[in-house]
Amino acid sequence: MENTNNNLKKLDQKTLSQSFHRWFWGALTCFSQEHMQTFGYMASMLPILKKLYPNHDDQVNAIHAYTAFFNTNPMLGSVIVGITASMEEARANGKDIDGETINDMRAGLMGPIAGIGDSLIDGTLIPILLGIALGMSSGGSPIGAIFYIIAWVIIAYFGQRFLYFRGYKFGDQAVNFLVGKQGAAVRRAIGIVGSMVVGGVLASWVNVTTSLKLKGADGKIFLNLQDKLNSIYPGILTVIVTLFCWWLMSKKHVSAIWTMVILVVISFLGVLVGFFNPGLSY
Amino acid sequence: MTINWLQAALLGFFACLCSNSCMAGQAVGNYTIGRPLVGGLVCGIILGDIKLGIACGVAMQLVYIALVTPGGTVSADVRAISYIGIPLAMVAISSQGLNPLGNTAADLAKSVGTLVGTVGTVLYYAVATMNLVWQSFGWKDVQKGNLDKLPAVNFLWPWVSHAIFSFLPTMLLTYYGATAVKALRNALPMDGIAMKTLFTVGGMLPCVGIAILLRQIVNKPTDFIPFLVGFTLAASLHLNLVSITIVSLLFAVLIYEIEMAKGSNKNPVTATGSSSVNDDDSNDDEEDI
Repeated sequence: MENTNNNLKKLDQKTLSQSFHRWFWGALTCFSQEHMQTFGYMASMLPILKKLYPNHDDQVNAIHAYTAFFNTNPMLGSVIVGITASMEEARANGKDIDGETINDMRAGLMGPIAGIGDSLIDGTLIPILLGIALGMSSGGSPIGAIFYIIAWVIIAYFGQRFLYFRGYKFGDQAVNFLVGKQGAAVRRAIGIVGSMVVGGVLASWVNVTTSLKLKGADGKIFLNLQDKLNSIYPGILTVIVTLFCWWLMSKKHVSAIWTMVILVVISFLGVLVGFFNPGLSY
Repeated sequence: MTINWLQAALLGFFACLCSNSCMAGQAVGNYTIGRPLVGGLVCGIILGDIKLGIACGVAMQLVYIALVTPGGTVSADVRAISYIGIPLAMVAISSQGLNPLGNTAADLAKSVGTLVGTVGTVLYYAVATMNLVWQSFGWKDVQKGNLDKLPAVNFLWPWVSHAIFSFLPTMLLTYYGATAVKALRNALPMDGIAMKTLFTVGGMLPCVGIAILLRQIVNKPTDFIPFLVGFTLAASLHLNLVSITIVSLLFAVLIYEIEMAKGSNKNPVTATGSSSVNDDDSNDDEEDI
Protein backbone atom coordinates (compact mmCIF):
# COMPACT_ATOMS: atom_id res chain seq x y z
CA MET A 1 0.00 0.00 0.00
CA GLU A 2 2.01 2.88 -1.29
CA ASN A 3 0.02 5.85 -0.21
CA THR A 4 2.76 8.02 1.13
CA ASN A 5 1.80 11.03 -0.95
CA ASN A 6 0.60 14.31 0.49
CA ASN A 7 -3.15 13.76 0.61
CA LEU A 8 -3.56 11.62 3.71
CA LYS A 9 -6.66 9.48 3.85
CA LYS A 10 -9.05 10.53 6.55
CA LEU A 11 -12.25 8.83 7.60
CA ASP A 12 -15.18 11.22 7.65
CA GLN A 13 -17.88 11.39 10.28
CA LYS A 14 -20.47 9.78 8.01
CA THR A 15 -18.43 6.64 7.36
CA LEU A 16 -17.55 6.24 11.04
CA SER A 17 -21.17 6.75 11.98
CA GLN A 18 -22.28 4.09 9.52
CA SER A 19 -19.71 1.67 10.87
CA PHE A 20 -20.81 2.38 14.43
CA HIS A 21 -24.48 1.86 13.64
CA ARG A 22 -23.73 -1.46 11.99
CA TRP A 23 -21.97 -2.60 15.16
CA PHE A 24 -24.70 -1.21 17.44
CA TRP A 25 -27.36 -3.08 15.54
CA GLY A 26 -25.53 -6.03 14.08
CA ALA A 27 -22.85 -7.17 16.53
CA LEU A 28 -24.73 -10.41 17.15
CA THR A 29 -27.39 -10.69 14.46
CA CYS A 30 -25.58 -13.52 12.66
CA PHE A 31 -24.32 -15.33 15.75
CA SER A 32 -23.04 -18.88 15.78
CA GLN A 33 -21.16 -20.75 18.47
CA GLU A 34 -18.27 -21.15 16.05
CA HIS A 35 -17.70 -17.60 14.84
CA MET A 36 -19.74 -15.54 17.32
CA GLN A 37 -19.34 -11.84 16.45
CA THR A 38 -16.99 -12.25 13.49
CA PHE A 39 -19.59 -11.41 10.86
CA GLY A 40 -20.95 -8.48 12.81
CA TYR A 41 -17.41 -7.15 12.98
CA MET A 42 -16.82 -7.59 9.24
CA ALA A 43 -20.12 -5.91 8.39
CA SER A 44 -19.24 -2.89 10.50
CA MET A 45 -15.69 -2.60 9.09
CA LEU A 46 -16.91 -2.78 5.50
CA PRO A 47 -17.88 0.92 5.09
CA ILE A 48 -14.47 1.90 6.47
CA LEU A 49 -12.53 -0.39 4.14
CA LYS A 50 -14.54 0.84 1.17
CA LYS A 51 -13.78 4.43 2.06
CA LEU A 52 -10.07 3.86 2.62
CA TYR A 53 -9.32 1.56 -0.31
CA PRO A 54 -10.87 2.58 -3.62
CA ASN A 55 -9.32 -0.48 -5.25
CA HIS A 56 -11.51 -3.58 -4.88
CA ASP A 57 -8.58 -5.96 -4.45
CA ASP A 58 -7.23 -3.91 -1.57
CA GLN A 59 -10.62 -4.09 0.10
CA VAL A 60 -10.67 -7.87 -0.19
CA ASN A 61 -7.12 -8.00 1.08
CA ALA A 62 -7.92 -5.83 4.06
CA ILE A 63 -11.06 -7.69 5.17
CA HIS A 64 -9.08 -10.87 5.69
CA ALA A 65 -7.72 -9.37 8.90
CA TYR A 66 -11.26 -9.45 10.29
CA THR A 67 -12.08 -13.05 9.45
CA ALA A 68 -10.42 -14.15 12.70
CA PHE A 69 -12.68 -15.24 15.56
CA PHE A 70 -14.05 -12.38 17.58
CA ASN A 71 -16.25 -12.26 20.67
CA THR A 72 -16.50 -9.74 23.46
CA ASN A 73 -19.07 -7.78 25.42
CA PRO A 74 -20.86 -5.98 22.57
CA MET A 75 -21.51 -2.84 24.64
CA LEU A 76 -17.93 -2.06 25.69
CA GLY A 77 -16.61 -3.87 22.60
CA SER A 78 -17.65 -0.81 20.62
CA VAL A 79 -14.37 0.76 21.72
CA ILE A 80 -12.40 -2.02 20.00
CA VAL A 81 -14.19 -1.42 16.68
CA GLY A 82 -13.34 2.27 17.01
CA ILE A 83 -9.69 1.44 17.64
CA THR A 84 -9.50 -0.78 14.56
CA ALA A 85 -11.04 2.03 12.51
CA SER A 86 -8.15 4.29 13.47
CA MET A 87 -5.58 1.52 12.93
CA GLU A 88 -7.02 0.77 9.52
CA GLU A 89 -6.79 4.44 8.64
CA ALA A 90 -3.13 4.44 9.66
CA ARG A 91 -2.53 1.29 7.61
CA ALA A 92 -4.12 2.88 4.55
CA ASN A 93 -1.79 5.84 4.99
CA GLY A 94 1.22 3.59 4.77
CA LYS A 95 2.06 3.36 8.48
CA ASP A 96 3.83 0.24 9.67
CA ILE A 97 0.68 -1.68 10.56
CA ASP A 98 -0.46 -4.94 9.02
CA GLY A 99 -3.40 -7.25 9.50
CA GLU A 100 -1.51 -9.15 12.16
CA THR A 101 -0.95 -6.02 14.28
CA ILE A 102 -4.66 -5.28 14.09
CA ASN A 103 -5.58 -8.83 15.00
CA ASP A 104 -3.16 -8.96 17.94
CA MET A 105 -4.76 -5.83 19.33
CA ARG A 106 -8.28 -7.26 18.87
CA ALA A 107 -7.37 -10.62 20.36
CA GLY A 108 -5.60 -8.95 23.28
CA LEU A 109 -8.45 -6.65 24.15
CA MET A 110 -11.52 -8.83 23.60
CA GLY A 111 -10.92 -10.95 26.72
CA PRO A 112 -10.42 -8.16 29.28
CA ILE A 113 -13.20 -6.05 27.70
CA ALA A 114 -15.57 -9.02 27.85
CA GLY A 115 -14.80 -9.59 31.52
CA ILE A 116 -15.19 -5.94 32.50
CA GLY A 117 -18.27 -5.48 30.30
CA ASP A 118 -20.10 -8.55 31.58
CA SER A 119 -19.63 -7.58 35.20
CA LEU A 120 -20.13 -3.84 34.69
CA ILE A 121 -23.04 -3.84 32.21
CA ASP A 122 -24.86 -7.15 32.65
CA GLY A 123 -23.92 -7.65 36.27
CA THR A 124 -24.23 -4.13 37.66
CA LEU A 125 -25.71 -1.41 35.47
CA ILE A 126 -28.67 -3.41 34.13
CA PRO A 127 -29.61 -4.84 37.56
CA ILE A 128 -29.52 -1.29 39.00
CA LEU A 129 -31.77 0.08 36.24
CA LEU A 130 -34.09 -2.92 36.46
CA GLY A 131 -34.17 -2.68 40.25
CA ILE A 132 -35.32 0.93 40.07
CA ALA A 133 -37.78 0.04 37.28
CA LEU A 134 -39.23 -2.81 39.35
CA GLY A 135 -39.80 -0.37 42.17
CA MET A 136 -41.89 1.79 39.84
CA SER A 137 -43.97 -1.16 38.64
CA SER A 138 -46.00 -1.80 41.77
CA GLY A 139 -49.69 -2.30 41.16
CA GLY A 140 -49.05 -3.35 37.56
CA SER A 141 -47.99 0.13 36.48
CA PRO A 142 -46.22 0.31 33.08
CA ILE A 143 -44.12 3.30 34.21
CA GLY A 144 -41.23 1.11 35.37
CA ALA A 145 -40.95 -0.68 32.03
CA ILE A 146 -41.15 2.62 30.15
CA PHE A 147 -38.49 4.14 32.42
CA TYR A 148 -36.19 1.19 31.77
CA ILE A 149 -36.68 1.33 27.99
CA ILE A 150 -35.88 5.04 27.80
CA ALA A 151 -33.03 5.06 30.33
CA TRP A 152 -31.28 1.98 28.99
CA VAL A 153 -31.60 2.76 25.27
CA ILE A 154 -30.23 6.27 25.81
CA ILE A 155 -27.33 4.97 27.91
CA ALA A 156 -26.62 2.11 25.49
CA TYR A 157 -26.74 4.18 22.32
CA PHE A 158 -24.82 7.23 23.45
CA GLY A 159 -22.49 5.18 25.66
CA GLN A 160 -21.50 2.92 22.79
CA ARG A 161 -21.23 5.86 20.42
CA PHE A 162 -18.96 7.64 22.88
CA LEU A 163 -16.80 4.53 23.25
CA TYR A 164 -16.57 4.00 19.49
CA PHE A 165 -15.40 7.53 18.79
CA ARG A 166 -13.11 7.53 21.79
CA GLY A 167 -11.53 4.37 20.39
CA TYR A 168 -11.13 6.02 17.00
CA LYS A 169 -9.63 9.18 18.48
CA PHE A 170 -7.21 7.72 20.99
CA GLY A 171 -6.41 4.31 19.50
CA ASP A 172 -5.42 1.67 22.03
CA GLN A 173 -4.84 4.38 24.65
CA ALA A 174 -8.62 4.64 24.80
CA VAL A 175 -9.02 1.56 26.97
CA ASN A 176 -6.82 2.92 29.76
CA PHE A 177 -9.75 4.58 31.43
CA LEU A 178 -11.51 1.22 31.47
CA VAL A 179 -8.73 -1.07 32.60
CA GLY A 180 -6.43 1.40 34.36
CA LYS A 181 -6.39 2.54 37.97
CA GLN A 182 -9.19 5.04 37.59
CA GLY A 183 -11.27 2.48 35.75
CA ALA A 184 -10.78 -0.02 38.55
CA ALA A 185 -11.79 2.59 41.15
CA VAL A 186 -14.92 3.48 39.18
CA ARG A 187 -15.80 -0.19 38.80
CA ARG A 188 -15.46 -0.84 42.53
CA ALA A 189 -17.58 2.21 43.30
CA ILE A 190 -20.32 1.15 40.87
CA GLY A 191 -20.06 -2.35 42.28
CA ILE A 192 -21.07 -1.03 45.70
CA VAL A 193 -24.15 0.61 44.21
CA GLY A 194 -24.97 -2.63 42.41
CA SER A 195 -24.61 -4.77 45.54
CA MET A 196 -26.79 -2.50 47.66
CA VAL A 197 -29.50 -2.17 45.02
CA VAL A 198 -29.58 -5.92 44.50
CA GLY A 199 -29.89 -6.42 48.25
CA GLY A 200 -32.79 -3.98 48.17
CA VAL A 201 -34.41 -5.78 45.23
CA LEU A 202 -34.21 -9.07 47.09
CA ALA A 203 -35.78 -7.65 50.23
CA SER A 204 -38.49 -5.71 48.38
CA TRP A 205 -39.67 -8.42 46.02
CA VAL A 206 -38.73 -11.80 47.37
CA ASN A 207 -40.18 -13.15 50.55
CA VAL A 208 -39.47 -16.71 51.59
CA THR A 209 -41.57 -17.50 54.64
CA THR A 210 -42.36 -20.53 56.71
CA SER A 211 -45.83 -21.54 57.77
CA LEU A 212 -44.58 -23.67 60.64
CA LYS A 213 -46.65 -23.19 63.74
CA LEU A 214 -46.49 -25.46 66.75
CA LYS A 215 -49.69 -25.92 68.70
CA GLY A 216 -50.01 -26.99 72.28
CA ALA A 217 -52.48 -29.57 73.60
CA ASP A 218 -55.10 -26.86 74.06
CA GLY A 219 -54.91 -25.94 70.37
CA LYS A 220 -53.19 -22.63 71.06
CA ILE A 221 -50.15 -21.71 69.01
CA PHE A 222 -47.12 -21.53 71.22
CA LEU A 223 -44.54 -21.14 68.46
CA ASN A 224 -45.05 -19.12 65.31
CA LEU A 225 -41.66 -19.60 63.68
CA GLN A 226 -42.02 -16.81 61.11
CA ASP A 227 -42.79 -14.23 63.80
CA LYS A 228 -39.83 -15.41 65.85
CA LEU A 229 -37.54 -15.17 62.82
CA ASN A 230 -38.81 -11.71 61.97
CA SER A 231 -37.95 -10.52 65.45
CA ILE A 232 -34.37 -11.70 64.93
CA TYR A 233 -33.79 -10.26 61.44
CA PRO A 234 -36.61 -9.45 59.02
CA GLY A 235 -36.33 -11.51 55.85
CA ILE A 236 -33.78 -13.92 57.30
CA LEU A 237 -35.15 -16.94 55.41
CA THR A 238 -34.87 -15.09 52.09
CA VAL A 239 -31.22 -14.31 52.83
CA ILE A 240 -30.54 -17.90 53.90
CA VAL A 241 -32.03 -19.38 50.71
CA THR A 242 -30.09 -16.88 48.56
CA LEU A 243 -26.80 -17.56 50.32
CA PHE A 244 -27.48 -21.28 50.05
CA CYS A 245 -27.91 -20.92 46.26
CA TRP A 246 -24.75 -18.83 46.09
CA TRP A 247 -22.86 -21.44 48.09
CA LEU A 248 -24.08 -24.25 45.83
CA MET A 249 -23.10 -22.42 42.66
CA SER A 250 -19.83 -20.79 43.62
CA LYS A 251 -18.42 -23.24 46.18
CA LYS A 252 -19.90 -26.54 44.97
CA HIS A 253 -19.95 -25.56 41.27
CA VAL A 254 -23.54 -26.67 40.83
CA SER A 255 -25.12 -25.22 37.66
CA ALA A 256 -28.02 -22.78 37.88
CA ILE A 257 -30.43 -25.35 36.50
CA TRP A 258 -29.45 -28.00 39.07
CA THR A 259 -29.68 -25.39 41.80
CA MET A 260 -33.28 -24.83 40.73
CA VAL A 261 -33.90 -28.59 40.80
CA ILE A 262 -32.52 -28.71 44.35
CA LEU A 263 -34.94 -25.93 45.30
CA VAL A 264 -37.79 -28.02 43.86
CA VAL A 265 -36.76 -30.94 46.10
CA ILE A 266 -36.47 -28.68 49.15
CA SER A 267 -39.87 -27.13 48.41
CA PHE A 268 -41.48 -30.53 47.97
CA LEU A 269 -40.09 -31.82 51.27
CA GLY A 270 -40.95 -28.53 52.96
CA VAL A 271 -44.54 -28.72 51.76
CA LEU A 272 -44.77 -32.36 52.93
CA VAL A 273 -43.73 -31.57 56.50
CA GLY A 274 -45.71 -28.34 56.60
CA PHE A 275 -42.73 -25.99 56.71
CA PHE A 276 -43.89 -24.28 53.53
CA ASN A 277 -47.47 -23.54 52.61
CA PRO A 278 -48.20 -20.95 49.96
CA GLY A 279 -51.78 -20.70 51.25
CA LEU A 280 -53.50 -21.48 47.98
CA SER A 281 -57.23 -21.45 47.53
CA TYR A 282 -59.69 -20.82 44.78
CA MET B 1 -58.22 -15.13 28.44
CA THR B 2 -57.41 -16.78 25.12
CA ILE B 3 -54.71 -16.23 22.53
CA ASN B 4 -55.81 -15.97 18.89
CA TRP B 5 -53.63 -16.53 15.83
CA LEU B 6 -52.95 -12.84 15.27
CA GLN B 7 -51.81 -12.36 18.86
CA ALA B 8 -49.69 -15.52 18.68
CA ALA B 9 -48.06 -14.27 15.46
CA LEU B 10 -47.29 -10.88 17.03
CA LEU B 11 -45.67 -12.64 19.99
CA GLY B 12 -43.67 -14.69 17.49
CA PHE B 13 -42.48 -11.52 15.76
CA PHE B 14 -41.25 -10.04 19.04
CA ALA B 15 -39.50 -13.33 19.79
CA CYS B 16 -37.43 -12.83 16.60
CA LEU B 17 -36.35 -9.40 17.81
CA CYS B 18 -34.95 -10.42 21.19
CA SER B 19 -32.90 -13.37 22.48
CA ASN B 20 -29.12 -13.39 22.59
CA SER B 21 -28.52 -13.28 18.88
CA CYS B 22 -31.39 -11.21 17.72
CA MET B 23 -32.69 -9.16 14.85
CA ALA B 24 -33.11 -5.88 16.72
CA GLY B 25 -29.51 -5.70 17.90
CA GLN B 26 -28.08 -6.37 21.35
CA ALA B 27 -28.94 -3.12 23.05
CA VAL B 28 -32.49 -2.82 21.75
CA GLY B 29 -33.29 -6.48 21.15
CA ASN B 30 -31.69 -8.52 23.89
CA TYR B 31 -31.29 -5.90 26.60
CA THR B 32 -34.58 -4.05 26.07
CA ILE B 33 -37.26 -6.06 24.23
CA GLY B 34 -35.95 -9.31 25.71
CA ARG B 35 -36.05 -8.25 29.38
CA PRO B 36 -39.08 -9.85 31.07
CA LEU B 37 -40.21 -6.49 32.49
CA VAL B 38 -40.42 -5.00 29.00
CA GLY B 39 -41.77 -8.30 27.67
CA GLY B 40 -44.53 -8.05 30.27
CA LEU B 41 -45.50 -4.65 28.90
CA VAL B 42 -45.47 -5.87 25.28
CA CYS B 43 -47.42 -9.05 26.11
CA GLY B 44 -49.82 -6.99 28.18
CA ILE B 45 -50.53 -4.72 25.21
CA ILE B 46 -50.87 -7.64 22.76
CA LEU B 47 -53.15 -9.67 25.02
CA GLY B 48 -55.07 -6.66 26.25
CA ASP B 49 -54.27 -6.76 29.96
CA ILE B 50 -51.34 -4.48 30.75
CA LYS B 51 -51.72 -4.81 34.50
CA LEU B 52 -51.45 -8.59 34.42
CA GLY B 53 -48.65 -8.43 31.84
CA ILE B 54 -46.56 -6.12 34.02
CA ALA B 55 -47.26 -8.23 37.11
CA CYS B 56 -45.95 -11.34 35.29
CA GLY B 57 -43.03 -9.37 33.85
CA VAL B 58 -42.02 -8.12 37.29
CA ALA B 59 -42.19 -11.63 38.74
CA MET B 60 -40.02 -13.12 36.01
CA GLN B 61 -37.63 -10.21 35.88
CA LEU B 62 -36.71 -10.98 39.47
CA VAL B 63 -35.58 -14.47 38.52
CA TYR B 64 -33.53 -13.17 35.60
CA ILE B 65 -32.29 -9.88 36.97
CA ALA B 66 -28.68 -10.89 36.37
CA LEU B 67 -28.72 -12.77 33.12
CA VAL B 68 -25.03 -12.78 32.28
CA THR B 69 -24.02 -14.81 29.25
CA PRO B 70 -20.26 -15.30 29.48
CA GLY B 71 -18.78 -16.57 26.25
CA GLY B 72 -22.17 -17.00 24.64
CA THR B 73 -23.35 -19.77 26.94
CA VAL B 74 -26.89 -19.30 28.16
CA SER B 75 -28.76 -20.93 31.01
CA ALA B 76 -32.08 -19.41 30.01
CA ASP B 77 -33.49 -17.92 26.84
CA VAL B 78 -35.09 -14.49 27.09
CA ARG B 79 -37.24 -15.00 24.00
CA ALA B 80 -38.84 -18.04 25.60
CA ILE B 81 -39.21 -16.36 29.00
CA SER B 82 -40.70 -13.13 27.71
CA TYR B 83 -42.78 -14.17 24.72
CA ILE B 84 -43.77 -17.77 25.53
CA GLY B 85 -43.54 -17.90 29.33
CA ILE B 86 -45.26 -14.60 30.12
CA PRO B 87 -48.28 -15.12 27.77
CA LEU B 88 -48.81 -18.65 29.12
CA ALA B 89 -48.46 -17.44 32.71
CA MET B 90 -51.02 -14.71 31.98
CA VAL B 91 -53.48 -17.28 30.66
CA ALA B 92 -52.81 -19.58 33.62
CA ILE B 93 -53.31 -16.81 36.17
CA SER B 94 -56.51 -15.54 34.64
CA SER B 95 -57.93 -19.05 34.19
CA GLN B 96 -57.10 -19.93 37.80
CA GLY B 97 -58.94 -16.79 38.81
CA LEU B 98 -56.00 -15.48 40.84
CA ASN B 99 -55.61 -11.84 41.77
CA PRO B 100 -53.09 -10.62 39.15
CA LEU B 101 -51.26 -8.46 41.66
CA GLY B 102 -51.11 -11.07 44.40
CA ASN B 103 -48.15 -13.14 45.54
CA THR B 104 -49.62 -16.43 44.38
CA ALA B 105 -50.03 -15.11 40.84
CA ALA B 106 -46.41 -13.95 40.86
CA ASP B 107 -45.18 -17.32 42.16
CA LEU B 108 -47.09 -19.15 39.44
CA ALA B 109 -45.62 -16.82 36.81
CA LYS B 110 -42.09 -17.51 38.06
CA SER B 111 -42.54 -21.28 37.91
CA VAL B 112 -44.06 -21.24 34.41
CA GLY B 113 -41.54 -18.70 33.11
CA THR B 114 -38.48 -20.45 34.50
CA LEU B 115 -39.53 -23.81 33.13
CA VAL B 116 -40.19 -22.36 29.67
CA GLY B 117 -37.03 -20.25 29.78
CA THR B 118 -34.81 -23.18 30.65
CA VAL B 119 -36.29 -25.45 27.99
CA GLY B 120 -36.14 -22.50 25.57
CA THR B 121 -32.33 -22.56 25.46
CA VAL B 122 -32.88 -25.18 22.75
CA LEU B 123 -34.12 -22.34 20.52
CA TYR B 124 -31.00 -20.31 21.20
CA TYR B 125 -28.68 -23.10 20.11
CA ALA B 126 -30.90 -23.95 17.13
CA VAL B 127 -30.72 -20.38 15.77
CA ALA B 128 -26.97 -20.23 16.35
CA THR B 129 -26.51 -23.53 14.53
CA MET B 130 -28.63 -22.54 11.58
CA ASN B 131 -26.67 -19.27 11.27
CA LEU B 132 -23.68 -21.41 10.34
CA VAL B 133 -25.37 -21.91 6.96
CA TRP B 134 -25.44 -18.17 6.27
CA GLN B 135 -21.90 -17.82 7.58
CA SER B 136 -20.70 -20.46 5.13
CA PHE B 137 -22.20 -18.29 2.38
CA GLY B 138 -20.29 -15.40 3.92
CA TRP B 139 -16.95 -17.21 3.83
CA LYS B 140 -17.44 -17.98 0.16
CA ASP B 141 -18.25 -14.33 -0.51
CA VAL B 142 -15.08 -13.23 1.28
CA GLN B 143 -12.97 -15.71 -0.69
CA LYS B 144 -14.51 -14.64 -3.98
CA GLY B 145 -14.31 -10.98 -3.08
CA ASN B 146 -18.07 -10.37 -3.18
CA LEU B 147 -17.90 -8.00 -0.24
CA ASP B 148 -21.22 -6.34 -1.05
CA LYS B 149 -23.00 -9.53 -0.06
CA LEU B 150 -21.64 -9.48 3.51
CA PRO B 151 -24.30 -7.14 4.96
CA ALA B 152 -26.99 -9.57 3.79
CA VAL B 153 -25.21 -12.41 5.58
CA ASN B 154 -25.21 -10.42 8.80
CA PHE B 155 -28.54 -8.61 8.63
CA LEU B 156 -30.90 -10.45 6.28
CA TRP B 157 -30.40 -14.23 6.22
CA PRO B 158 -30.55 -14.73 10.01
CA TRP B 159 -34.22 -13.73 9.72
CA VAL B 160 -34.75 -17.17 8.19
CA SER B 161 -33.22 -18.84 11.27
CA HIS B 162 -35.53 -16.79 13.44
CA ALA B 163 -38.58 -17.47 11.30
CA ILE B 164 -38.06 -21.19 11.88
CA PHE B 165 -36.76 -21.26 15.45
CA SER B 166 -38.26 -18.11 17.01
CA PHE B 167 -41.42 -17.18 15.15
CA LEU B 168 -42.95 -20.62 14.57
CA PRO B 169 -42.27 -22.15 18.03
CA THR B 170 -43.51 -19.03 19.79
CA MET B 171 -46.66 -18.77 17.67
CA LEU B 172 -47.54 -22.46 18.02
CA LEU B 173 -46.64 -22.78 21.71
CA THR B 174 -48.60 -19.71 22.75
CA TYR B 175 -51.63 -20.64 20.63
CA TYR B 176 -51.87 -24.29 21.65
CA GLY B 177 -50.20 -23.83 25.04
CA ALA B 178 -52.98 -21.53 26.18
CA THR B 179 -55.46 -24.36 25.76
CA ALA B 180 -53.16 -26.81 27.53
CA VAL B 181 -52.62 -24.45 30.45
CA LYS B 182 -56.36 -24.19 30.92
CA ALA B 183 -56.70 -27.98 30.88
CA LEU B 184 -54.06 -28.12 33.60
CA ARG B 185 -56.38 -26.25 35.92
CA ASN B 186 -58.66 -29.25 36.15
CA ALA B 187 -55.85 -31.79 36.24
CA LEU B 188 -53.99 -30.29 39.19
CA PRO B 189 -56.06 -29.06 42.13
CA MET B 190 -54.73 -25.92 43.80
CA ASP B 191 -54.59 -27.44 47.28
CA GLY B 192 -52.71 -30.52 46.06
CA ILE B 193 -49.10 -31.09 46.87
CA ALA B 194 -47.92 -30.56 43.27
CA MET B 195 -49.33 -27.04 43.07
CA LYS B 196 -48.14 -26.19 46.57
CA THR B 197 -44.62 -27.23 45.58
CA LEU B 198 -44.86 -25.31 42.32
CA PHE B 199 -45.84 -22.12 44.08
CA THR B 200 -43.25 -22.54 46.85
CA VAL B 201 -40.51 -23.01 44.25
CA GLY B 202 -41.79 -19.98 42.37
CA GLY B 203 -41.31 -17.91 45.48
CA MET B 204 -37.71 -19.07 45.85
CA LEU B 205 -36.54 -18.91 42.22
CA PRO B 206 -35.47 -15.24 42.33
CA CYS B 207 -32.95 -16.29 45.00
CA VAL B 208 -31.14 -18.23 42.26
CA GLY B 209 -31.07 -15.16 40.01
CA ILE B 210 -29.72 -12.99 42.82
CA ALA B 211 -27.21 -15.69 43.74
CA ILE B 212 -25.91 -15.74 40.16
CA LEU B 213 -25.34 -12.02 40.48
CA LEU B 214 -23.66 -12.45 43.86
CA ARG B 215 -21.29 -14.96 42.31
CA GLN B 216 -20.21 -12.13 40.01
CA ILE B 217 -19.69 -9.48 42.64
CA VAL B 218 -18.57 -11.40 45.71
CA ASN B 219 -14.86 -12.24 45.74
CA LYS B 220 -14.27 -12.19 49.46
CA PRO B 221 -16.58 -12.47 52.50
CA THR B 222 -16.69 -8.72 53.15
CA ASP B 223 -18.23 -8.20 49.72
CA PHE B 224 -21.46 -9.52 51.23
CA ILE B 225 -21.72 -6.47 53.48
CA PRO B 226 -22.99 -3.88 50.97
CA PHE B 227 -25.47 -6.48 49.71
CA LEU B 228 -26.74 -7.12 53.25
CA VAL B 229 -26.86 -3.39 53.99
CA GLY B 230 -29.06 -2.92 50.93
CA PHE B 231 -31.24 -5.81 52.07
CA THR B 232 -31.54 -4.36 55.57
CA LEU B 233 -32.44 -0.89 54.28
CA ALA B 234 -35.39 -2.42 52.43
CA ALA B 235 -36.42 -5.23 54.81
CA SER B 236 -36.02 -3.45 58.13
CA LEU B 237 -36.18 0.25 57.28
CA HIS B 238 -38.62 -0.18 54.36
CA LEU B 239 -36.81 2.21 52.04
CA ASN B 240 -37.74 2.00 48.37
CA LEU B 241 -35.20 1.26 45.66
CA VAL B 242 -34.60 4.81 44.51
CA SER B 243 -33.81 5.78 48.11
CA ILE B 244 -31.46 2.81 48.48
CA THR B 245 -29.70 3.83 45.26
CA ILE B 246 -29.14 7.32 46.61
CA VAL B 247 -27.77 6.02 49.91
CA SER B 248 -25.48 3.68 47.99
CA LEU B 249 -24.12 6.58 45.91
CA LEU B 250 -22.61 8.01 49.09
CA PHE B 251 -20.67 4.80 49.65
CA ALA B 252 -19.71 4.72 45.98
CA VAL B 253 -18.16 8.18 46.21
CA LEU B 254 -16.26 7.19 49.37
CA ILE B 255 -14.95 3.98 47.77
CA TYR B 256 -13.85 5.88 44.68
CA GLU B 257 -11.93 8.45 46.71
CA ILE B 258 -10.29 5.75 48.84
CA GLU B 259 -9.31 3.67 45.81
CA MET B 260 -7.83 6.68 44.06
CA ALA B 261 -5.92 7.76 47.17
CA LYS B 262 -4.67 4.26 47.94
CA GLY B 263 -2.26 3.84 45.04
CA SER B 264 -1.06 7.42 44.84
CA ASN B 265 1.41 6.95 47.71
CA LYS B 266 2.83 3.71 46.38
CA ASN B 267 3.17 4.30 42.67
CA PRO B 268 2.55 7.82 41.46
CA VAL B 269 2.68 6.79 37.79
CA THR B 270 -0.85 5.73 37.01
CA ALA B 271 -1.12 5.88 33.26
CA THR B 272 -0.20 2.53 31.79
CA GLY B 273 0.10 1.49 28.20
CA SER B 274 -2.19 -1.10 26.72
CA SER B 275 0.66 -3.60 26.74
CA SER B 276 0.34 -3.89 30.52
CA VAL B 277 -3.43 -4.18 30.50
CA ASN B 278 -3.50 -7.62 32.06
CA ASP B 279 -0.83 -6.88 34.65
CA ASP B 280 -2.65 -3.76 35.64
CA ASP B 281 -5.90 -5.60 36.15
CA SER B 282 -4.39 -8.29 38.33
CA ASN B 283 -2.58 -5.67 40.39
CA ASP B 284 -5.88 -4.12 41.24
CA ASP B 285 -7.14 -7.40 42.58
CA GLU B 286 -4.10 -7.80 44.76
CA GLU B 287 -4.49 -4.35 46.20
CA ASP B 288 -7.93 -5.25 47.38
CA ILE B 289 -6.75 -8.03 49.64
